Amino acid sequence: MNHAIISCLHANLPAAEAVLNDIDRQGIGTITCLGDLVGYGPQPNEVVELIRKRGIATCQGCWDEDIIDGLNACECSYPSQLAERRGHLAHQWTDDQLTDENKSFLASLPTSLRRDRLLFVHGSPNSQHEYLLPDMDAFAALERVETAGADILFCGHTHQPYVRELRDGSIRVRLQNADHECDQGEELTLPMRKIVNAGSVGEPRHGSTNATYVIHNDATDEVEIKEVPYDVDRTCQAIVEAGLPKVFAWRLSHGFEFAEQAEDASHVCER
Amino acid sequence: MIERWALVSGLRGDLETYDLIQRDLKKTRGVTSLFVLGDLVGPERNCDALLDRLKNPHRGDLKPDCIYGWWEEQLLAESGFRGERKADALRLSQGEDAVSALLNTVNPSHLKWLASLQFGFIELDCALIHGSSSDVGDNLTSETSPLILLDRLTRLNVNRLFTARSTKQFHLELTGGGINSQVKDLNGKREQQQAVPKRSVIGIGAGLNYTLYDIGSDKTHFLTAGSKTNPKGKGFA
Repeated sequence: MNHAIISCLHANLPAAEAVLNDIDRQGIGTITCLGDLVGYGPQPNEVVELIRKRGIATCQGCWDEDIIDGLNACECSYPSQLAERRGHLAHQWTDDQLTDENKSFLASLPTSLRRDRLLFVHGSPNSQHEYLLPDMDAFAALERVETAGADILFCGHTHQPYVRELRDGSIRVRLQNADHECDQGEELTLPMRKIVNAGSVGEPRHGSTNATYVIHNDATDEVEIKEVPYDVDRTCQAIVEAGLPKVFAWRLSHGFEFAEQAEDASHVCER
Repeated sequence: MIERWALVSGLRGDLETYDLIQRDLKKTRGVTSLFVLGDLVGPERNCDALLDRLKNPHRGDLKPDCIYGWWEEQLLAESGFRGERKADALRLSQGEDAVSALLNTVNPSHLKWLASLQFGFIELDCALIHGSSSDVGDNLTSETSPLILLDRLTRLNVNRLFTARSTKQFHLELTGGGINSQVKDLNGKREQQQAVPKRSVIGIGAGLNYTLYDIGSDKTHFLTAGSKTNPKGKGFA
């Protein structure tokens, strides 16, 4: 059976509506959302209410977490002080706009969802703020999936959709302890695992303005990355009218990867 | 010329053990550094005399470089040095009495110094940490999945991780292997191959059991303070 996974809606209502319409047209009834309903975009209440109304199973993203708990990232998460100021401004604007009811909904979201061998998180099983990039160290990527006890890990956060299959892995080890001479060594065969990144509905960073999401078939494990065009101009205009930084609109209208991303994307702020 | 590090942990207030180790080191050639990887304090005995000695080494002592361990973390958390966190891990595992006992073993005048200790050291291409890059309480042993060990090494980008939390002495070398991966995105598919880097995780022991590391030859020696074992006999390259 096919099910759809969406992530990083970022208060972009036209994009969220377009993606949900695309999923509906295919007759897919099961949708999972990987968080970041708010942040950057101009319609935080509308997007949260759409997800609530549709009863879509959702886990909490880093923006959803920060709106509830206060900013939980320091300057290390931004490439520049200018980017940091823009991030703080968007955080404050979103905090002011969101109703108490919608904040309570964001606060109620779990950090992960599990269905049998499938695990759904925003960033990684370790943190909503950790980026699992497509080219990250393969052993570290496998460790995230394996330690979480999953066969397939669905994540978002990077805004770049991809499917990564990790296979044919092995590690040879040699051990000596205080009581024994060095042993002959042994080889551990690693399991095959998969990471699926759903990309971003509301703030794509894969080189196109189209919203992205993925469809997974739980019988064949095949994954399809979907692109959906939407009315980008409508969102851009709403960003400008809301008084949010204009660069957010410029980014959306170009679809390039001009995200507020730290130079070391694997870094997880401990603050 | 041989240059060696001595790696010690789990003293837990035991000045007698520390004295025995210092005596051993005086008789051992080439020891240039002494690293104490946490658990200086513990609930069993008063720790003040040991802390005084670590802060103010005796003449002839090898000067110790200390980091904090799991017991210091519990003590500092309970004493208000870790924000809103308390000694929850200790309370959960050993109960309220253990928390009270720990607080009673250390004079509050030592807390500021303990709070100034670092999480770990990076020396050459080695990380020296009580637990691991993941957490001060990360209990790495020779039984830990090599995938997890490799992850802990990768997070720090070091070739050797010296850890103390398990109290065990072991040297586990990652000697080979690899992994294939295929990434599919909107631009197509690409294959990647990655080999296992030659890296090691070394458990240094606790209390009387300590470790010497030869920097030049990359050999570890597992020793027990006060015994007459020749370091050469237990070397591991």
